[in-house]
Amino acid sequence: MADAPKKGTLRAAYRRAADIKPRDARTWQVSLNAFAFLFSEMVQYNQTRVDNIAELEHRLEHAGYGVGLRMLELLCHREKGNRREVRLLGILSFVHSTLWKSLFGKVADSLEKGTENEDEYMISEKELLVNRFISVPKDMGAFNCGAYVAGIVKGVLDGSGFPARVTAHFVPVEGQPRPRTTILIKFSEEVLQREARLS
Amino acid sequence: MIACVAVVGQQNNPLFIESFTEGEDELKFHYIVHCSLDVIQEKVSNPKKTGSAMNETFLGLLYPTEDYKVYGYLTNTRVKFLLVTTDQDVRDIDVRNFFRRFHAAYVDAVSNPFHVPGKRIISKAFTERVGAIVKSFGAPTT
Repeated sequence: MADAPKKGTLRAAYRRAADIKPRDARTWQVSLNAFAFLFSEMVQYNQTRVDNIAELEHRLEHAGYGVGLRMLELLCHREKGNRREVRLLGILSFVHSTLWKSLFGKVADSLEKGTENEDEYMISEKELLVNRFISVPKDMGAFNCGAYVAGIVKGVLDGSGFPARVTAHFVPVEGQPRPRTTILIKFSEEVLQREARLS
Repeated sequence: MIACVAVVGQQNNPLFIESFTEGEDELKFHYIVHCSLDVIQEKVSNPKKTGSAMNETFLGLLYPTEDYKVYGYLTNTRVKFLLVTTDQDVRDIDVRNFFRRFHAAYVDAVSNPFHVPGKRIISKAFTERVGAIVKSFGAPTT
């Protein structure tokens, strides 16, 4: 997904996913406008069918989950010299660089380890691509459409065998009008136990 | 001659199993594939004993029975591909190529938005592609 619309993108999108050579895949572009339109329709569609904010966030996350599972299969297949990730840091750096690069065309802004708990990690982004054209009304409180991206990350982590709870939050930063978005990843117990056993 | 290919999911549930020899008992292949799962499990949990790298995808020859050889391949998502063949002299590079093309067909089948992850693969296109890959297996490459 990137800025400049490419001629004939819709027709080209019907090419088989696994036929696209890795060389082409890295420069593959879908118009941002098309994606923003589709995403806004998706949010509106879900909004009319739910009663509260938590449910809406849950639905967006569920939508992203399927994407995450499939992205994992596709990316692992395209990467040469592919190795199965079994370590925590390995899968986190995969999400932070490879996944972000193929989804948004750049690596994520930062990857941090949580200070209070052992099992929390945070991926931050100054402005999530999906939120670029969205402004959340005040009465929706802390709702973040980044729940879709959180769902994608959750799909990738679950698919690789690292069950986790993933949520998206706004973090206000001084000196900037718009807050930063942070994806918070909280790994489940078994992942930490396995990690302790392996190291 | 390839006797059977199988795709087994993360919880060791069968996602796709297809045999290519007529007249053979299908159940026997189910049984062979099921036994191979144990060997895969052992290979994955004891990397030092078997000498292979812990996160290698191609697992190699799993175990030979009296007329079949079983090869295994493990993807990043813990999905296992199994190949049962009756050939006696199979080149390693042929099997690797086979799994590479099979992985591509599998990725296409899973990218289908109507495919539910964890359920059986029911795409006809996938079955046809697998059939084509199987037919060209072992064809002499000059």
